[in-house]
Amino acid sequence: MNLRLAFLLALAPLVVTGCQRGAETKGQLTVAMMPKNKGNPYFVSCHKGAQEAAGPLGVKLLWDGPTETDPAKQNEVVEAWITRGVDVIAVSVENKEAISTALRKARGQGIKVVTWDADAEHDARDLFVNQATPEGIADVLLEQTARILGGKGSFAIITASLTAANQNEWIKHIRELLGAKYAGLTLVDVRPSDDDRKRAFDETQTLLKVHPEVKVVMAIASPAIPGAAEAVKQSGRADVKVTGLGLPNASRPYLKDGVLDSVVLWNTMDLGYLTIQVASALAKGTLKPGQTSFTAGRLGPLTVAGDNVLLGQPFTFTKENVDHFDF
Amino acid sequence: MPRRSVISRLLAHHRREASVAAALFALLALVAVRAPGFFRAANVRDLLVGNAPVLVAAVGMTVVILARQIDISIGSQFAICGVAAGLLAKANWPMPFVALGTVFVGALLGAINGGLVAGLGLPAIVVTLATMVMLRESLRWATEGIWVQDLPVGFQWFGLGQEGGRFAVVAVALAIFAGFAWGLRRLNAGRGVYATGSDPEAARLAGIRPRRVIFGSFVCMGGLTAFAALLTSIQFIDVQTNAGVGLELRVIAAVVVGGTSTSGGRGTLAGTLLGVALLGAIGPTLTFLGTQAYWERALQGLVILVAVAANAVPMARRSGRGVS
Amino acid sequence: MASRKADVTAAAVRRHFPGPLTHEALLGVVVLVELGYFAAAGSNFLSAGNAAEVARASVEIGLLALALTPVIVTGGIDLSVGSLLGLAAVLMGAMYRDLGLPMGAAALVGVLVGVAGGALNALLVTRLGVPPLIATLGTYSLFRGVAEGFTGGVRNYTDFPAGFLFLGQGRLPGGVPAQLPLLLAAAIFFWLLLHRTPAGRGLRAIGFSPDGARYAGIPVARRLALVYVLSGLMAGMGAAVYAARLGQAKADAGTGFELFAITAVVLGGTSIFGGRGSVPGTLLGLLAVALLQNGLRLSDLPAELAGILTGVMLIAAIGAHRVFSERSRG
Repeated sequence: MNLRLAFLLALAPLVVTGCQRGAETKGQLTVAMMPKNKGNPYFVSCHKGAQEAAGPLGVKLLWDGPTETDPAKQNEVVEAWITRGVDVIAVSVENKEAISTALRKARGQGIKVVTWDADAEHDARDLFVNQATPEGIADVLLEQTARILGGKGSFAIITASLTAANQNEWIKHIRELLGAKYAGLTLVDVRPSDDDRKRAFDETQTLLKVHPEVKVVMAIASPAIPGAAEAVKQSGRADVKVTGLGLPNASRPYLKDGVLDSVVLWNTMDLGYLTIQVASALAKGTLKPGQTSFTAGRLGPLTVAGDNVLLGQPFTFTKENVDHFDF
Repeated sequence: MPRRSVISRLLAHHRREASVAAALFALLALVAVRAPGFFRAANVRDLLVGNAPVLVAAVGMTVVILARQIDISIGSQFAICGVAAGLLAKANWPMPFVALGTVFVGALLGAINGGLVAGLGLPAIVVTLATMVMLRESLRWATEGIWVQDLPVGFQWFGLGQEGGRFAVVAVALAIFAGFAWGLRRLNAGRGVYATGSDPEAARLAGIRPRRVIFGSFVCMGGLTAFAALLTSIQFIDVQTNAGVGLELRVIAAVVVGGTSTSGGRGTLAGTLLGVALLGAIGPTLTFLGTQAYWERALQGLVILVAVAANAVPMARRSGRGVS
Repeated sequence: MASRKADVTAAAVRRHFPGPLTHEALLGVVVLVELGYFAAAGSNFLSAGNAAEVARASVEIGLLALALTPVIVTGGIDLSVGSLLGLAAVLMGAMYRDLGLPMGAAALVGVLVGVAGGALNALLVTRLGVPPLIATLGTYSLFRGVAEGFTGGVRNYTDFPAGFLFLGQGRLPGGVPAQLPLLLAAAIFFWLLLHRTPAGRGLRAIGFSPDGARYAGIPVARRLALVYVLSGLMAGMGAAVYAARLGQAKADAGTGFELFAITAVVLGGTSIFGGRGSVPGTLLGLLAVALLQNGLRLSDLPAELAGILTGVMLIAAIGAHRVFSERSRG
């Protein structure tokens, strides 16, 4: 009996001290933003851009998501936000079909839904902040590869994990474009890196030996760029170049070296910044369907194509311009 | 008692290691026929350098499993030690001190596990499950996934240059392996590990301190994981803060396939070496043989199962037990 | 590994805390503390809607954890349940979409795949004498690998019929998630098995001493085979619920589920050494972790904290058991 009383008494102060969650000031918008996974520097830079926008707009920014790429976790986070009650949910979608169920439910409860970086199903969100379509990304990557190979040659892809939805979509479009537009190029193999730099390194090393005809390694996951580039560098194969999708800071040493020819991306901080601008305007009603232009703070006027807010064109980092960026 | 040749006696005592060696030989023979390019010097060298860190970690895991314990947190320890190495180098410590500092961090992490298991008598698998999650999540929280970059030039290859560095990595790994192989056999501490693993009570009665041995094995594991992290990190110019995911399963599989028994007290480092070689060879040999990447995991699982089933069948027949 | 100092401390603690302080009671207190804290700190934590969603998201792990309880009670373990769930899910999707089977039949195939996987584990453990940790470590890779190979990593099965999706996304009258009765039925089944049948007592005996159990006439191999096959069955059922909840079946389904399930079982008081375990404890353990994750999210606290606190709870759970248990094993 003493024991039970003791435990109950212990509960009381905990309940009291628990009431210190950051209270929202009245009229403040809450935007809940979710990356594909929190531990990726790509998304860390998007977060920074989002924070930059949130301050001046008076937006309370919630940032949460899976710490590993778990296909089911994003749904649980969205459910929690619906329960908590937020004004806008902004998601970078890992699995289009899975998340759309939860997002539709959110919309049904009056929460505005915005997708960014990767889209959900069209009826599951109000707007998509689009930095590049999957077809567009595939095209730019092949364009770079074709330029390096002189229009004709063999290349290989180092991807994230074999089940990564976005990478798989890019690869699908790459295969389609190979037949249609880049007939001189041959895709020799696709190897996974599982988002591990060492794995990307090992796979590239082996690849170069098994397929000596490969002259371009296309690394389409951010840890894979430094892994593949280091492998090519250590192999001493001056005839092989690396390209792909990655972040400027990780790519800089290899761009300067010449091993890494170019890195395709977009300004991830601007992407985060734009997402919060769009979320805020949507919730306040200043961004309405049918609009064809949207002024997003320091980014100026941007095109709105249907339900896509376009960030701009993918950007190519090279040896010459990479020093202007820090993310 | 009929006289048996040296070979047949050797095989009988080391049945498990022999079957792993046979599997490895079969794999290499297959690739020798179908894709002999595998055996070119550059490839063999790269495989040695790439698997050296795994061997070092596997040495530690062998000691732990011999002591009838297990440590599934080494992946998280690996990540933390890699970050430690990077941060120490960024603080402009000379590389030898970076190495010492990293190993110290690893040993400390191992001591946490050891303290909970040996000191409080808690089951190793649950303790290391808890520390695995706590360590990795803490690291993620602290670093937010940002890599440790802009390291001094002397970090890569320990400042020895590519050729010297590669040689050093393999040499250090083999030295650690040889040292522990000798120690397990010849030092009292080593024999204490075998004794503790096979029967802690008997060991205690024989004057060995099982709790000390167990604590020591976890500290050892931590230190060796730190070495593995160091040997991996110095192959690059920066440190990924989320490295080592899945390392524990890879290492445990290698040790177990190599014949070390999870009930403790039985196993050899030679078997571990073979296990590391076999599991490390699967990926590259499959690539050389032209297998699609998406079948690799299934084949790895199959190899593990065949290897352990082949080891276990004679056991089940001999002792008549269904469960070890 | 009896340590004299710990035993003396344990006896001293027991003297100061009279009465049956079972593990479940302690865990119940933890759950109450969580409820109390998050009700204050989180938004809408105590709402019916939130309760329903927490329950909904926990069903698949719950099925796995229930099946793992008797496995761990026998002194074994099953690391392959998450991978088997993934394999069952993609094969079920393939049956429906590629072979055109009606959804019910496809789901049944998924469940049978689970049973087959469990049977493979049973074979390895009982017939070939492979230690369960290693056998299921191998099948952990094998099942996931076959799922990846079969789908090329790429194929994602979606567009399931609305009736099937209701199982995972719908609500029964009263706001109860449609998959919850399945979990309750499984819980009752496993509770009966472990706590009310001679077979269950046999499982505990096997965990305590396999040889002793054999000499006592318990058919050890058959009992072990049963628990591993049941584990596979639950993985197959979990696969159907998962695919219905998310509306998709991909090769990475169920990644990490085994660790969550094992955590729930150990938190619930089941000893990893075998011989002791409780189904209500497992459910409480599952609840404790699920409430922690949900509560932290609703309190705007970072997800990493959930992992760290879960680890602390685990160590506290096994530590508390070490102190409070009558008989110290080691």
